[in-house]
Amino acid sequence: MKKTYIPKLDDILGGGIIDNASLMFSAVPGVDYEAFGYQMLNGRLRDGDKGFIFTNVAEPETIIYEFKSYGWDLEKFLKDTQAFFVDGTSPFIGLPSDAKYSIEDYSQIEEVILEAIEDVPDGIGIINNLSTLIDYLGENETINIIKKWNSHGKKYNTSLIYLFTKWDYNHDLIQNLKKSMDCVVEIKTIEERVIIGQGFMVAHSSWSKPSDTMVLFFVVQPGGVKVYIPKILVTGPYNAGKSTFVKKISKKSVSVDRKALSAFPTTIALDIGHLEYKGFIADVFGTPGQERFDLLLDVLGRESVGAFIIVDSTAPQTFARAKEMIRKAKAEAIPKVLVANKQDLPGALSPEEIREKMKLGKDIPIIPAIVTEGKGVTDALDALLGLLYGD
Amino acid sequence: MIKLIIRIPSGIPGLDELVSEGSGSFAENTVTLVYGPPKVGKSVFSYQFAYEGLLNNEPCLYISTDYGLKDIERNIANFGWNLSEYIENESFYFIDAISTIAGVEVESKPNYFLSSVHNPTDIMVKLGMAIRQITSNSPRYRSVLDSLTTLMAFNDEVLIVRVLTVYIMRIKESGGTAIVTYTEGSASSRVENMLKAIVDNIIHLDGEKLTIEAMIGSGKVKAHYDITSRGIIVD
Repeated sequence: MKKTYIPKLDDILGGGIIDNASLMFSAVPGVDYEAFGYQMLNGRLRDGDKGFIFTNVAEPETIIYEFKSYGWDLEKFLKDTQAFFVDGTSPFIGLPSDAKYSIEDYSQIEEVILEAIEDVPDGIGIINNLSTLIDYLGENETINIIKKWNSHGKKYNTSLIYLFTKWDYNHDLIQNLKKSMDCVVEIKTIEERVIIGQGFMVAHSSWSKPSDTMVLFFVVQPGGVKVYIPKILVTGPYNAGKSTFVKKISKKSVSVDRKALSAFPTTIALDIGHLEYKGFIADVFGTPGQERFDLLLDVLGRESVGAFIIVDSTAPQTFARAKEMIRKAKAEAIPKVLVANKQDLPGALSPEEIREKMKLGKDIPIIPAIVTEGKGVTDALDALLGLLYGD
Repeated sequence: MIKLIIRIPSGIPGLDELVSEGSGSFAENTVTLVYGPPKVGKSVFSYQFAYEGLLNNEPCLYISTDYGLKDIERNIANFGWNLSEYIENESFYFIDAISTIAGVEVESKPNYFLSSVHNPTDIMVKLGMAIRQITSNSPRYRSVLDSLTTLMAFNDEVLIVRVLTVYIMRIKESGGTAIVTYTEGSASSRVENMLKAIVDNIIHLDGEKLTIEAMIGSGKVKAHYDITSRGIIVD
């Protein structure tokens, strides 16, 4: 198995891709998908594998620049001859090419790529992009060539990664392309008037039975493909430890507290955090616990995809309030994890006692925690990500 | 009187009168193909359309395959119009699909997107990003794609028909009104017919006569025009 270096994709595929796999990233127009191929290449090169990029969409210089913008040093691998370009762009616009291979005529492409595959045994080749090939070579010829490349890839144990823009090609062509690949990852848009998000899902894989989970992502510079969880809500009764929890799970966080009139600072507007964990990105919103701020729950709950409910395990009298907050945040319908905080204090109820008192179903994980010490925080995160992405 | 079709002003003196007695030329949320031989004023037509929108607080999303931002600014300034304030206040969005080819250094601005004529997929990505920004501030905007001809020079013609189809879909979904330019005869007649079939309105320029070959809500019209120091003026 080889890793894909795309967060979450390896898990969905049962650990990664088989060694000599052909994989197609198939994207609707308007989705930023080139980073998927480049991220895979970068990861493999860093692991010591050899690799190449065939490009007919940008000159090698531009691609090197793009790698830089993601924070990846392709130039180093090119200098060490661990990687090379098959340049199908520069000759067409009259620019000189110092790539290992350059293609001046599309009739050369079949042979040149076969040769490139032999140059990177046990390595990886990125074909960017397939759509332009189809437009130049025609549908049938492209399919034939792909089959030859893929079988050559198998012989030399080379992974071939195709980037494909799904313009309005006919249905048969798309089906034939899919059949020629060991794995197809569909990259889609989530639209509401305009594109508001992007997601990927595995449509087909010859070695695993992937779940039909759509993984939201965005592409960041630097960083590359990151899984995106639009909003996570942190709610719970007053003094349960929500602000501390937001701080503990966030890389950065801001809390609007009132300290002047009280010995105990309390949140009077929002805790806002930004979480980066295991390749996942999420914005975290913590709500104030007091009832007079409940109008915020409705607003924040509406767009949340998951929630943490924080309760004080020593204060069962607040559990009814916790349930009320779940309802007001409309969090019944979204995946949620209950964090049973303050387990270190005398009289703390166990997770099962809390489940019973709150009459919560088994589908809601209850994670024992001592948030001030950071205990249970990553367990809670893992539990919510598991619910969101079907682990 | 109830206006069944909301028309937006073209910015071209004389054209709105010709189409609808002065109440605008282009039906809102439509895409117009402006085509003709080289050097008959297609880009000038686009500048006027874009600038008229900016004057009316309508943002503009300009996709250029021939000129970088500085060149466009200069071309527009030749007619006495100042684009810089609209670039600064971020109502003029620019997708530059040519500067990478020339290796020109470009500055980074939130309303400036760099792409490549080779990579229609990326142009569509940048289009989506720009539309998202524009529509978060304005329900109505204008867009120009100048020109299809250059895209065809670097890509397969049929691919560009596909690109245009997606472009039109995105523009319409998001409340835009657009102009697309194309140099007559630069693609096969089959492709040219396909282009004409997928747009809403068609205007032909030949250097002397402006012919409205198709326009939502109006018939075929022909008029004389001149390219002056103040842009195109229709008699």
